Amino acid sequence: MLVAPPLGLLILLCLKNEQKFLIRAVSLVSAGISLSLAIYTFVAYDKALGGLQFVEKYEWVKTFGITFFVGVEGMNAPLLLLTGIVIFTGVLTMWELEDRTKEYFIWMLALVTGVFGVFMSYDMFFFFLFYEIAVVPMYILILVWGSTRKEYAAMKLTLYLMAGSGLIIPGILLLYASSGLNTFNMVILHGARFSPWIQKVAFVLLLFGFGVLAAVWPFHTWSPVGHVAAPTAVSMLHAGVLMKLGSFAILRVAMYLCPAGFQYWANLMMVLATTGIVYGVFVGLAQTDLKYVIGYSSVSHMGIVCLGLSTGTMDGLNGSVFQMFAHGIMTALFFSSVGYIYDRTHVRDIHKLGGFSKIMPVASAFFITAALCGAGVPGMASFWAELLVFVATVKVYPVAGLLAIAALVVGALFALRVVQNSFYNEPNPKFVGYEDVSPFLGLPRMILIGALILFGFFPQLMVSMIKSSVVPFLQGM
Amino acid sequence: MNMMLFGPELYYLGMALVFFFLTLKRQVQGKMDYQIALALSAMGVVVTVLCLFQQGDLFFKAYRVDLFSQIFKFALALGLFLVLTISHRLPHIEARYQAEFYFFLTTTTIGMMMLVSSVELLTIYVALELSSYSLYILVPLRRGDGIDVEAGIKYLFIGAVSSGFMLFGLSYIFGATGSTYLADILPKMTQLVNSPIGIMGLLLAMAGFFFKLSVFPFHFWAPDVYQGGANQVVTFIATASKAAAVALLLRLAGLGQAFGYNFTIALVALSIISMTLGNLVAIIQKDFKRMLAYSSIAHAGVFLMGVLTITESGFIGAIYYALAYLVMNFTVFMVLSEVASDGRDLKIAELAGLYRRSPLLSMSLILGIFALAGVPPSIGFTGKLLIFTSAMNAGYFWLVLIGAVNGTICLYYYLKVIYAAYFIEDPGLPAIELSMPIRLLNYALAAIIIGFGFFPDRVVELAKAAAKAVL
Repeated sequence: MLVAPPLGLLILLCLKNEQKFLIRAVSLVSAGISLSLAIYTFVAYDKALGGLQFVEKYEWVKTFGITFFVGVEGMNAPLLLLTGIVIFTGVLTMWELEDRTKEYFIWMLALVTGVFGVFMSYDMFFFFLFYEIAVVPMYILILVWGSTRKEYAAMKLTLYLMAGSGLIIPGILLLYASSGLNTFNMVILHGARFSPWIQKVAFVLLLFGFGVLAAVWPFHTWSPVGHVAAPTAVSMLHAGVLMKLGSFAILRVAMYLCPAGFQYWANLMMVLATTGIVYGVFVGLAQTDLKYVIGYSSVSHMGIVCLGLSTGTMDGLNGSVFQMFAHGIMTALFFSSVGYIYDRTHVRDIHKLGGFSKIMPVASAFFITAALCGAGVPGMASFWAELLVFVATVKVYPVAGLLAIAALVVGALFALRVVQNSFYNEPNPKFVGYEDVSPFLGLPRMILIGALILFGFFPQLMVSMIKSSVVPFLQGM
Repeated sequence: MNMMLFGPELYYLGMALVFFFLTLKRQVQGKMDYQIALALSAMGVVVTVLCLFQQGDLFFKAYRVDLFSQIFKFALALGLFLVLTISHRLPHIEARYQAEFYFFLTTTTIGMMMLVSSVELLTIYVALELSSYSLYILVPLRRGDGIDVEAGIKYLFIGAVSSGFMLFGLSYIFGATGSTYLADILPKMTQLVNSPIGIMGLLLAMAGFFFKLSVFPFHFWAPDVYQGGANQVVTFIATASKAAAVALLLRLAGLGQAFGYNFTIALVALSIISMTLGNLVAIIQKDFKRMLAYSSIAHAGVFLMGVLTITESGFIGAIYYALAYLVMNFTVFMVLSEVASDGRDLKIAELAGLYRRSPLLSMSLILGIFALAGVPPSIGFTGKLLIFTSAMNAGYFWLVLIGAVNGTICLYYYLKVIYAAYFIEDPGLPAIELSMPIRLLNYALAAIIIGFGFFPDRVVELAKAAAKAVL
C-alpha cells in the first residue's frame, strides 16, 4: 500500500509529458493498487484478535533508535481505506487535466505516499517524515494548478503548516529525550512513564502543532483559503484526507503518549473545538462562494472530530474516528461535484448558479447528497459519527454538547438554503445547454456516495473496527 | 613514517606543484589546464577514500590521522572536485589567471586538510592561515567593477581580525596550561574552571572558526564575499570551507566540556542570534548569492547547536550535517553557476522560466533548496533532525524550539526561490544546454540528497566512529 504510489511516481518520472494517457493510466493503476490493498487490510483485519497487524519492522538508524515500523490496527484501518478511496477517485476526477499532467500526478502521488505513511507509522521519526512529505507538495499543487488568489493561499497554507511543524519537532524530541530510552518507537515510548510536567508541555506543543493541520480554531484560517485555491482533486485530498492527518496525529501521538497531558488540556481542547464548530457554521452562513461554504463547513466538522477526541471516552473516540472517515468521503464528494460544475461554468457563486439542477441534474445530485450528509441526515455515514460524538459530549461536557448540536441544526438549515439557492431556483439562462456528468466521470462520485451509504446503513462495520483498538487505547491511558 | 598517513596532503601538495608549473607557462591553454585539474582532483578523491581508515600520529604528535580527520579530508577533496566540475567556464576570471585559480584552490584545500588533522595549537593556526591566505587571493581574482575588491578587502580584514582574536585566545590557553598540545591541555582545563581565563581563551580561540563558519558576530563578510567573489570561488567557500570549520569547532569544543554551563550558554546565545539574524535578513534579499550568504549564517547557528551539546550524538549530527550541507549547498550553487553561465550575479527573479529552460536544473534546485530548508526526505531534514534530537537530549529545550521556529521562517525565502523558478512569468530566454558530465552530476546529487536522507544509517555509523575519535 505504501509502496504503490512511490513506485507509480518513479515510473511517471521516466515518462514523457506527451504520453498523457499513459501517465494517467499509471497513476490510476498505482492508486487502484493502494485502494485494493486498503480494502484488503480493512476486510482481512482480525477484529477479534485486535492489536497491531500487518506489521513491518526494520532497524533504520541504530544510534538514534529509529525504526521503520508500520502496522495496521482498528484505528487507522478506516483512515487508510479513506485515503485509498479518495486518491482513487481523485485521480479519476482529474482525468481531464491537460496542463503539466505528469508533474501533477507525481506530486499527488508523493502527497499520498506521505499520507499513507503517517497513518501507518508507529515510529515518531517516520511519522513526522511522512507528515512533512504529505504537507509540502501542497504548496506546489496549489501554486501551479490552483485558482483564486493561489499564490497567497499556497504561501499562507505552507507557512501555517510549517509553523505547526516547528511546534511538533520540539514536542516529539522532548518526549524522545526525556524518556531516556533512545527510541522513536511509539509503542515502546508509550510504556515510558513521563513526568506530568513533560506530558503537559509536550501535549500542548503537539496539540497546537498538529491542530494547525486539523484546522482547529483559531488556526484554521489557512484552510478555507487553501481549499478555495486548490484544484479539485487536491481540495478533495486536502480536506478529505490531509486534515485528518492532524486530528489522527493528535490521537496517535499526543493523546497516546501523554495521557496526563491530555487530561490537563482536555478542557482547552473542548473549548477550541466547540468554538470551531459554532464559528464554522456561522461564517459559512455568510459565504456565497460554494467552495468557501464547504471550506467553513469543514472547519466545523473537524471541530466535531476534535470535540470527540476531547471527551476521551469510548463513544467519543469511536465517533471521532468515524467522523474523520465520513467527513473525508463527504468533503471529497463536495469538492468533486463543485469542481465539476466550476470546470464547466467557471462560476461558484450560489446566486449565479440558481436552479442548476435543471441544467446538470446529475452533478447537482452529487452535491445535494453531500450536503444532506453534511447536515447529518440518517442513513448517511456521518449521521452515526456525529451521533456518537454528541452522545459522548453531552455526557462529559453538557454545555458544549448542546451548543454544538444547536450549531449543527443551524448548519443543516444553511446547507438546505445553499442547496435551494443554487440548485432549485430559476435556472440561470447563461448555462443552459451545458453537458451533464458523463458516466465515466460520474464513476468516482458514485464510489464516494456508495461508501457514504454503505457505512450509513451498516455503521457496525466501521464501529466494531474502530472499537477493537479504541478499547485497548483507553485502557492504556 | 608511513607515507600513507600523510597521503592526501602529499598528493595535493604534488597537485599544487603541477599547477604552479602551469602558472609559469607563457601560452594560455585554458582547456587543457581545466582537464588536468579535473582529472587530478578526481584522483584526489580516490586517494582520500583509500586513506579513509588510516590511523596514527605524525610530527611529534602534533598531527593526528584518525577517522574523523580522514572523513573531513574526503569531504574537502570531494568539495574541490565538485567545484572544479562547474569551473569549465570561468568567464569572470581572466584566462591568464586561470592556472592560479586552480593553484590557490589546491593550496587552500591542503591548508584545510592539515587543519582537520592538527591537534596542536600552533599547527592549527598555521594550517588555518595557509587556507585563509589562499582564499584571500581567490576572492578578488574576479574581474569586476570594484565589487570584487570590496569583497576581498572585507574578507581579508575580518579574517585578520578574527585571526587576531584567535591568537589572543591561543596565548591565553597556552599561558594558563603551559602546553600547546590539545591532549595535554584537556586535563588541565578542569583546573581553570573557576577562573575566566580558560573560558575566555577557548571562546577567543574559536573565533577563527566562527569567522570561517560565518557565525555572528564574525558574519559581516559573508554577504559581500558571496556576492563579490566569482561563483566558483564562493561555491568553495560555502561548501568545503564550512566543513573544515565545523571539524575544528568540534575538536576545540571538547576542551570546553569542563566549563559546563558557562561555556555552552555562550555558544547557545551565538547559535540563536546567528539563526535568527540570518533567517530574518535573508527574507529581504534579492540577490541569490546574498540570500545564500544569509542562509549560511543561519546554518552556522544550526551547526553550533550540534557542537555545543558536546555529546557523541551531537557530534554525529554535526558531522552528518556538515557532509549533507556540502552536498546540498553545492547543488544550489551548481544551479546558480550554470544559470549564470556568464559569471554574473544572479538575482532571484532571474531564475524565472528555469522550469522551461532546463527541467533538470530546476529539479536539482528544488531538491537542493528543500534540503537546505530541511524538508524531508532529504539529507538536510535528517541532519537537522539529528542535531535537534541531540540538543534536546542534552536538555536545550528552548534552543530546539527556537531552531524549529526558525525552520519555518527560512521556508519563506527558500520557497520564494522555487516560486521564481517555476511561476514567475517566463521571459523567453533560450534553453540552457547542459553537458553530459553535468547532467550526470545532477542525477548523482539528486540521488545522494534523497538516498542518504532516507537511508542515513551508514553515514551515521561512520560519523559515530569518527565522533568517538574527538571526544
